[in-house]
Amino acid sequence: MIGPDAPRVSVEGFDGPLDLLLELVEEKKLDILTVRLGDLADAYLTRVRSLSALPAEEVSAFLALASRLVLLKARSLLPSLAPLADEDVESEEELRARLLEYAVVRERAGVLGARLRTGERAFHREGGTVELPPRGGEVGALASAWSRVLALAARQREEDIVAPGERYSVEQRTTEIEELIVSQERMSFATLLAGTPTVGFAVVTVIALLDLYRRGVIDLVQDELFGDILITRRDAPSPAAHS
Amino acid sequence: MAEKPVTRNELARVVGAPPRAVENALAELGASYDGTGLRLQRSGDEWQLVTATEHAAQVAAYLGADRLRLSAASLETLAVIAYRQPVTRAEVEAIRGVNCDQTIYTLASRRLIEERGRKEAPGRPILYGTTWEFLECFGLGSLDELPRALSPEGEVVEAAPRT
Repeated sequence: MIGPDAPRVSVEGFDGPLDLLLELVEEKKLDILTVRLGDLADAYLTRVRSLSALPAEEVSAFLALASRLVLLKARSLLPSLAPLADEDVESEEELRARLLEYAVVRERAGVLGARLRTGERAFHREGGTVELPPRGGEVGALASAWSRVLALAARQREEDIVAPGERYSVEQRTTEIEELIVSQERMSFATLLAGTPTVGFAVVTVIALLDLYRRGVIDLVQDELFGDILITRRDAPSPAAHS
Repeated sequence: MAEKPVTRNELARVVGAPPRAVENALAELGASYDGTGLRLQRSGDEWQLVTATEHAAQVAAYLGADRLRLSAASLETLAVIAYRQPVTRAEVEAIRGVNCDQTIYTLASRRLIEERGRKEAPGRPILYGTTWEFLECFGLGSLDELPRALSPEGEVVEAAPRT
């Protein structure tokens, strides 16, 4: 067996015995339909002999056809030759039909090859599923975002304020929030930040909340992207939005 | 929208019409692309919009696509499979008179042929047929457009009943 990676052996330009036989018919300008195939036995054998080192598997195929041609030739020379009792080789007409069919295959292969060379082909659309735009965009949300930006811009910027050098501790903030949540059950992130916090205060508040969440003291719910965050006590009854 | 062919039944399901009506609509659609840069390609029951072959050079340049190259042996094997499908490897080998392991492997790895089930015969050999990529690479709207007989020998073979 030739493995899938073995190079295809094309023998001296002949791709198999039928190809060689067909080549002879064409060289001699004979008609496949009428040529006496036995007459080609000598020319075929000469060709096969001149073929250098064939792989064993190929040799057997070439020789099998050679033996058939020789037999056909023998029959035409000695018409009285009786068929062997167990003779099971194909007749001249069967071989002719095979050659004919092969000739058509080669012709069709030629036509297909010509189409490839002229590049007469089609192309389909590539590139995966079409990306649909995300749904749920709201013009109103865009407008209100813009007005918030304007409001922020109108405010004095934090950088302009002289830093008071305040310091926050996460532990202290955590304790503060924990006390608040015990008394209030729920509160919003915005109220925790109390208006216009400094960046440091906001960061410490967020870390404190994350820590409380990690410890299972509180639950965090955010109904919409960038919306306010609702903080609830873990043992408190769930808010409606949560269920 | 699809990058792969769509079956007639899928189309029928999406538009909520009987397959028969979809088929008529497809025929109409196909005709409407005449003379445009697109055409409708059919592979069995699957349909797909592809570019017209007349513009292959420009589309190939845009895509930077390489031209498909096949050896003479691969082309012969492909020709047998295209015209005789579904067909087993043994049948291809009987016609070509040579071992076709390698060429069938090459054609399958280039997605020009594919398995089409198995033949109900001893050993249940694999049956091969051509793919929609095959139609595309050779610019055929469907298998009906395979080039027919060119020579007297071809006519004889085509007229002969298939065994």
